[in-house]
Order: sequence, then structure tokens, then C-alpha cells
Amino acid sequence: MINRLPLEGTRVLDLSWIIAGPTSTRCLAIMGADVIKLGSARRPDPSTGSPPFQVYNQSKSYAALNISRPEGLEMAMSLVALSDIVVENFAAGVVERLGLGYEAIREVNPNVIMISSSGTGHSGPDKDYVAYGSLLQHYTGWNTVSGYPGQEPIKGGLWADPWVGMELTMVAVAALNHRVVTGEGQYIDFSMAEALSASIPEAILHYQMNGAVKEPMGNDDDWNSPHGMYHCKGSDSWVAIAVTTNQEWKALCCAIGKPELASKPGFDNAEVRRDHRDEIDAAISQWTSQHDDYDAAEILQNAGIPAGPSLDVSRVYNDPHLRSSGYLYQVKTNDGEIRDLPSLPWRFEGQSGPRIAAAPDLAQDNDRIYRELLGLSESEIAQLVEDQIIY
Amino acid sequence: MGADVIKIEPPEGDESRHMGPFPSDGPHPEKSGLFLALNINKKGVTLDLTTEEGASAFRKLAKTADIVVDNLPLGHLNNLGFGYDTLRENTPGIIVTSITPFGNRGVNMNWKATDLTLFHMSSNASGLLGPVEDPDTEPPIRAGGHQSEFVAGMAATTASLIALFQKRMTGNGSHVDVSEYEAMVNQTIAGLANSAYGRPAPTRSLKEVRETYISGMAGAIGGVLPTNDGYVAISPREDAQWERWLGVMGNPEWATDERFVTRKGRQTHTEALWELLSQWSRQHSKHDIARRGQDKRIPCFAVNTISDLLANEHLAVREFFQEIDHPVAGRLKYPGPPYRFSNTPFPLDARPAPLLGEHNQEILEGLDS
Repeated sequence: MINRLPLEGTRVLDLSWIIAGPTSTRCLAIMGADVIKLGSARRPDPSTGSPPFQVYNQSKSYAALNISRPEGLEMAMSLVALSDIVVENFAAGVVERLGLGYEAIREVNPNVIMISSSGTGHSGPDKDYVAYGSLLQHYTGWNTVSGYPGQEPIKGGLWADPWVGMELTMVAVAALNHRVVTGEGQYIDFSMAEALSASIPEAILHYQMNGAVKEPMGNDDDWNSPHGMYHCKGSDSWVAIAVTTNQEWKALCCAIGKPELASKPGFDNAEVRRDHRDEIDAAISQWTSQHDDYDAAEILQNAGIPAGPSLDVSRVYNDPHLRSSGYLYQVKTNDGEIRDLPSLPWRFEGQSGPRIAAAPDLAQDNDRIYRELLGLSESEIAQLVEDQIIY
Repeated sequence: MGADVIKIEPPEGDESRHMGPFPSDGPHPEKSGLFLALNINKKGVTLDLTTEEGASAFRKLAKTADIVVDNLPLGHLNNLGFGYDTLRENTPGIIVTSITPFGNRGVNMNWKATDLTLFHMSSNASGLLGPVEDPDTEPPIRAGGHQSEFVAGMAATTASLIALFQKRMTGNGSHVDVSEYEAMVNQTIAGLANSAYGRPAPTRSLKEVRETYISGMAGAIGGVLPTNDGYVAISPREDAQWERWLGVMGNPEWATDERFVTRKGRQTHTEALWELLSQWSRQHSKHDIARRGQDKRIPCFAVNTISDLLANEHLAVREFFQEIDHPVAGRLKYPGPPYRFSNTPFPLDARPAPLLGEHNQEILEGLDS
């Protein structure tokens, strides 16, 4: 049994805000890193006060600092000197104007790892584009691979930020590994847009191989059939069914009480099944319409068929699997309530569990950061508070 | 990123060799766009792990590895005699990362999954289309491609690198269990947070959105406008951004209509507003609108098609696409990594995906007995 979290002893100075950056430092904090989030009442993190803030900032410390003032900047630099990683996700160029660009911070910490994430990256003609994750899903082609042919582009969800958040974590830990081996830090220029385009290689290669854009196909699949959504008992109630082998196809026919479908000539071939999809879908829908979505999925799973209910997020939150697997975790949030909050999608077997603590309030950790880490006296801190430097 | 990755395929090849895209939709095991993109820079060997010869080669290969990654069905590697405990005995300090649909614990751990079922079960499908007229005839949809698998893969990379860091610091290996479902659920942490605070899930019904004056996507976080050559996505949500946006449109007369003066008003009267915006946007091109908007610091982007993307000047300057020659599939442009490391430039050694069994001789014959 290892009693030490993997990233214990690693310090992260977190200048990031909103979603993508904080999501990555959340992950580092849960895995044991000492994450110090800096913020200011002058320009609070826009997610402050919302429930998502309570998740984006789990397990971090939070100190108030006004880095627009020279004394504040100097204190931030002192913290840089004590950190292994600095993370920021301002628009390109902002952190340099604040005086915290890589060239400046490596002066005080030559081996620091700095991760800069922005909408379109930190070079190229569009680097100054003002971006939101939801718009980047349009810019990058990500939204065009989904939906139905000839319709308006899909409106998308909040996909970009959490996807980027995980990749930023990956990049941070890759750089940490590199530093353990070589002793060198480095600067990492990260583009959210490219992270989205990199996740649709099929469409990019299809276009080059065939000279045409592949139409989106809703819930359909190129190869597997039946493959899609079937209406269940109740309103807006759907089960996803994806048959990937002949064995699953036969099992499905039995499960829905239509064994004769399985023995129809040619139906052991997915392509033939696709040609007869109306007949097959009608038979499946007739069965699913008599069941609740979760029950239908359970019956099909017990017969060995990949199936799952189409859930909204509150039903996901109440999914018993996520409590029995340990993903949702009881935490006392800073309003004194006990709530189940998410952890991370992996377990290190036989090691101490992830560190899930409530998200901090702004300035909550001023004392630890400024007195214990920077060695300031109480009167110095009081003066800095009065001067709105610690602010 | 530079790791020496040896991909082990069964003698008949990875299943993804049979998944498209293919040129002219003609399946060919060395021309799958999916396989080619996912296996750049790896070496490939074929092994039948059910034979003693294959098992022995695998054992020797594992001895040379820092990390073993598998996404076989739950328990399969163990049944083949390569569970974590066995591998650890053979190779102290080894890291084994196992990716399975639901992880190795929890009530649904034995459930099967595909991209479709994971996308829907994790609630990512629920909001993807935006609100619809009739939720009973318009089901939620998944995104295109293989997003669930990519999300799980990214989580597994992160976890594996954390384990590698731990190994470098302490000498200890680990067994990392990654759940694809939880990785997809992790994409919705904002929604989970709202649920934890008793907030209802967003409705899928456009009617409910209208009746309750909940701002639709258009009001809340922006929307999509038709142009004379496609679409443009805009989000002038702040009052100051809205003022500048009106300037881009040449300050139309309707802008002084009291319904549209405040942000709340614009959110309440989304549909009327969107119609007026569309009348203007249809007369212009998507790139023109995006450029004029961005010049005024308004978040707006052309809705790029894949062909736009491959011709995009910004991505070209950043050398995002990597052109790689493959002996069978030919020269193709692959999306590169979305990051640039100042001290470790990529690509370290851009090599195409391996042919089936391409490195058998080089790797398997060199193994110590």
C-alpha cells in the first residue's frame, strides 16, 4: 500500500480561470499536487458563486492577489519561484502584459514548467481571436461531424472545455516526467481549437481519401446494424442499442421475443440488416416501448448486448453505478452541506484514494500562502490587505 | 511524445483496421483512416496470446516495458495469465493501465458498451442537438467519430503518465483502472455540480424553453447564423460586445427596439432577434463576418467544414497538420498534437502507422530467450 498520492510534493501555481484551465488543475490537485489558485476580487473568476465552481476548483488552495500592482506581481513571482508548474488560460498575450510571461518567470525559476492554453494558440494569424469553447466547436469542424445531413449545425454542448482540461493535465504530467529525467522545464503553447480538430481524424482523412466531406449520420454507424435509439415507455425516453456481432444480433432477436428474425436469410449480415432496417427497427421499438429505458438496457445487457439508456445529467448523477464504483464522492462543501461530488475516472489499485476536498473561497488560504510559504509577518499581511494588494 | 510504443495486434489485425474511413469506401486493412491516425509513430507486432509461443513473447516484451496498456474486456488479460500480479512478478515496478467500459467495480461493471451507448448514458447526448420541437420523435444524438473512446484514451494517457511520474519518484509501479463511462461522465462535471446543488437538468423541449423564458442556446452562449456560403457562430453576450456587434452590422434601425436593448431582453426575445440577425447575415460570407467581428473583439467564428480546416491559414502557419507517407495508403495529412513544447519539439520521429506485423522480425527476433 502506497500512502502517498502520486503528485504529492508537486506545487502548481494556478493563474487559470473559467473552465478548461481550472479543470486541469483540479485533476492535478485531486492526484496530490499542492495547487495554489490566485485570484482577485478586482476581477473574480467568472464561475465564482456557481455550483460548477465547486467542482472546477476542488481540492485547491485559493489566495487573493492583485497582480496588476507591482507589489502583487512581485509576490506572484515569489510564488513562481516555489512552484513546479504554472498554468494560465488567458487570451494570447495577456499574461505577458501582466509581467508573468515565460521569459519573465524563468528568470526566477529556470526549470519551471509553464502551460499556456488559449482558444487558437499563441502563434499564427488568428492567435488574438476572442474565443469561447462553444464557438471553437464550430471553428474546428468538431460540430460538423455530428447531426443530420442538410440541417443547421448542431448547437453543441460544453464539450470543448472538459476535453481540453484533461489534455492539459496530460501535458502537464508529461512535462513533469521530462523534468524528472532531464532537469529541464519548458513552455507549452496549447491550442484549444487544435485539441478539437485532433479529435476528428476520421473526418479529416475521409475528406482527403475521397475528396468529399462525409455527411454526419446522427446515431447511425457505418458498419454496425441495428445501431441507434429506440423509444421506451414514457416521454422522451430512449435506449441506445448497438449490435456489433452476429452473436449479439441473435441474442437481441431472442431478447425482444422475435427469434424468427435471426433466421431470416441474409440477416446474419449487418449490411443486409441495414437494408431491412425499417422492419427490424419496428420490431425492436415494439419491444422497447413496453419497457422503461433503464429496464430495457438491463434486460439487453443481461443477454450480452451493448445497450444503455439515454440519460440527462440529473439521472447520471443518480446512477447507482457511479456511487458503487466510487466516482461520486461525499464531500462537505463550504456551505456546510454534505454533497456527492465527482472524482476522477480512474483508480490506482491498492493506493490511497484521491484527495477530494471542497472548493475554496477566494482568500481562504491567504494565511498559509503568505505567512507559511512566503514568510510574511501578520502585520505585513495586514498592510498588504489594506493597500488592496492582497485583494 | 516520444515513448517507444510497441503495438501488439492479434494475427488477423486490430479491429480498427476494418473500420473506415477508406478510399472509395473500400475496406482494406492497411488503409483505414482511423487505424492510420491512431497508430502514428508506433511499432507493430502480431502475437497470438492464446498460444505458448505468443504468450512467451509477450512475457519477454512486458519485461522490457514501463507501461502495459490494454482495453480488452474486463478480466480478459487476467484469464490469459497476464494479470497485474503476474506481470508485476515478472517485471517489478511495471505499470498496467486497464481501460474497460465501466471499470472493474460498481454495479454495472460487466456491462458492454460502444461509443453510442457511452455517449448517451453519460448525458453527453442530451444537450448536443440543443432543444428540439418534439423530444419524442427527435432522439438525443451522439457526436460523430469515436469521441467516447478518445475521451477514455485521453484519461488513460493522463493516468498512465501520473503513474509513470510516481514510478520515477518512488520506484513503485501500479495498476491503473480506467472507466470509459466515468471518463465520459467527467465531461459533464458542470452538470453534475448543478445536480449536486439540486438544480434540474436542462430541458430538451423547445416548447418548455419558450414557455419558461429560459434562454435558449442563442441567448445564453451564442448561436449560429446562416450566411451566403454556410454558417457563422457568434456570441456577443456582454452589453459592450453587443454594442460593437451592432457596429459590425452597420447599426440597424431595429437595434433601438426596447426588446433588444438589454441582455435580458435579448435572451427573452431570442427568436425574433435571431430572425433579424439572419436577414443581415445571409447577405455576407462566413469568413467575412468572422473577420469583421473579431476585428471588433467579438467572439465569432466561421463554421468551418473539413475542407475549410485543411485550407486554414492559421493552422498552416502553426504546422498543425503533419504530412506523412505510408507505403500502402500514400501521403496524407494527419492532425498533429494541439501543443508545442519549447524544449522537446514534435514530431520527434514522424513515422506512419505500422503495417500488420511490420516489426515482427526487428522486435520479436531480438528478444532474449
